[in-house]
Amino acid sequence: MTKRNQMKIPTSIFALMSFLACTLVLAFPAPAASQTQNVCIQCHGSLEGRLGKPVQQWQGSIHEQDGVTCNECHGGDPKDAVNAMSPARGFIGVPEEKDIPGICGRCHIGVNRDYLASAHGKALGKGGPSCVTCHGNHAINRASLALINERSCSRCHSYERAGELKDAMVKTETLITTMEDKIDTIRKGGTDTEPLEKALFSARNQFHTLFHDVDVKKVQNESARINRDLGKIDASLEAILKKLHERRIAGAIAVGSALLAALILYLLRKTYEKN
Amino acid sequence: MKISKKTYDWLETRLGIEELIGKSLKGYLLPRNINFWYSMGSILLFIFALQGITGILLLIYYVPDAEKAFNSVKAIMNEIPFGWFIRTCHVIGASSMVFFLLLHMLSVLFMGSYKSPRELNWLSGFMLFTLVLAISLTGYLLPWSQLSFWATTVATNSVGTIPLIGDFLLEFLRGGKLVGPPTLGRFFALHVAVLPVTIAVFVMIHLFLVKRIGISTPPFGLDDTKNRWDDGKFRYEDHPGGIPFFPHYLLQDLTSIALYLAIFVFFVFFTPSLFFPADAFIPADSLRTPAHIKPEWYFLANYQALKLFPNEFIGIIVQALAMTFIAFLPFLDRGKEKHPLKRPVFTACAIGGILIFLALTIWGHYS
Repeated sequence: MTKRNQMKIPTSIFALMSFLACTLVLAFPAPAASQTQNVCIQCHGSLEGRLGKPVQQWQGSIHEQDGVTCNECHGGDPKDAVNAMSPARGFIGVPEEKDIPGICGRCHIGVNRDYLASAHGKALGKGGPSCVTCHGNHAINRASLALINERSCSRCHSYERAGELKDAMVKTETLITTMEDKIDTIRKGGTDTEPLEKALFSARNQFHTLFHDVDVKKVQNESARINRDLGKIDASLEAILKKLHERRIAGAIAVGSALLAALILYLLRKTYEKN
Repeated sequence: MKISKKTYDWLETRLGIEELIGKSLKGYLLPRNINFWYSMGSILLFIFALQGITGILLLIYYVPDAEKAFNSVKAIMNEIPFGWFIRTCHVIGASSMVFFLLLHMLSVLFMGSYKSPRELNWLSGFMLFTLVLAISLTGYLLPWSQLSFWATTVATNSVGTIPLIGDFLLEFLRGGKLVGPPTLGRFFALHVAVLPVTIAVFVMIHLFLVKRIGISTPPFGLDDTKNRWDDGKFRYEDHPGGIPFFPHYLLQDLTSIALYLAIFVFFVFFTPSLFFPADAFIPADSLRTPAHIKPEWYFLANYQALKLFPNEFIGIIVQALAMTFIAFLPFLDRGKEKHPLKRPVFTACAIGGILIFLALTIWGHYS
């Protein structure tokens, strides 16, 4: 570049350009911060066999997704490697079977109440199941009706009655799952689904209280009532989906009109070119 | 005499409309081999106008207060008639602006239109590019969602890596040590007042330069593809025997705008959530960091490139130098040849740069 050409650019433009260029690149985001430290996961995650397996099972579980880590059930201090397993820091190791509902019930208060009132809860310590018998301990998935199955229930008793209970609840469960998918689709488009989510959350919680009940008649009646409530929520969801569908029809017309306009303008230009 | 004719004559006497149309539109001749890529500027003008209109409409209901901003945006999307449409247009329009600016700049690069005497056209265009990125970044914070809050936190963090003045700059930009209500106020002022006015000024400068210097001749379909400007004194590049802007090229511009509109409307109606990740619908929470914070697609390459450097500040300096190099390209590339195939080194470097940008963008997206 010649000196004369350099002289043509005003100094202020140079300064402004450099400032803008720097400001721009400085605005680029940097990599995200590292994950929160947890010494239980760090140590056990690097171990193999019996001591490492719980971490592998926990990873991907509903508890991991919700940020529930080892110390919530086993006690101890996940921030202090030296005293992580110190009883003085509340470490209890593997909980006693009779203590399990109490530990889970610290968070799942309502479910614990339902369980303790059920035949299962009343049989705790007398050969009856605790929470982990059906739900597992580390690889816990979101509770669903799939947990009631012949293979699992037949470990303790015949499946017949459990099957009746499941049949009474399948329709409601399916309805809830379908509605969750609908809400997810609608939310992604920017529609406010909070009131509907809250209503569904409430209905689902009422429904889940039945999961620990073994009174077939009661479960049938309650399921029917919850289905009616769900029907109202579903009607609102369907109305939103219908509106979104209508928007897409309007969109298709708009796209078609724009394309048609482009074609007409193109042909008009060609006509002028020929002339 | 009809009232309309009387009105026209009255205006004609005072404004000389026929002469204006004849001289500025019909008499404004363009090179005969002008192509589709020359309509990118018109598409961009259309997008700028649309962003301005949708932005003003959003301003009617948006509340720039950290306590109310998220709910005001939620109301726009759900309660205000056609609010969802206006906001989606604004969001998709923002990405369109960057995309078509890139296309416009690439076409200018490959056709050698940035060469003398159009250095200032390129510079003003580059300024517009940086300003558009800045307005996009400031607009990102306004919905006050988790996405807005954390993307801005991470983006502004980079400023703090500058030695000596980093901390001061960071606090100046945020209006405090952390992103908070004062940051929203600052970004709002920049987004709706400072940057739009600055962009409008640079658009006018850019258009003035285009009109004053004349349209460059594309290097395609000609035997002699060298830049004929002799660098001596000002000369308007006219095109005797060329095609008139009105109606010929105006129809091409309108065709391109209609095509753009079809694509734009498709995105608005059929993929409205394309630029709305899940965190965009969760209110900002300074105590809860989302698992993955990623910038918009046009910052992904820079975001990924920063990770490749051992020190963030070095990464920033290297990128600043690269940006400055592109800004001053017309002053560095003094070759006369304009045809991309007759300047293979430049073309290979440019294609290499585009491929690196695309690779880093894809890598950034999946990282």
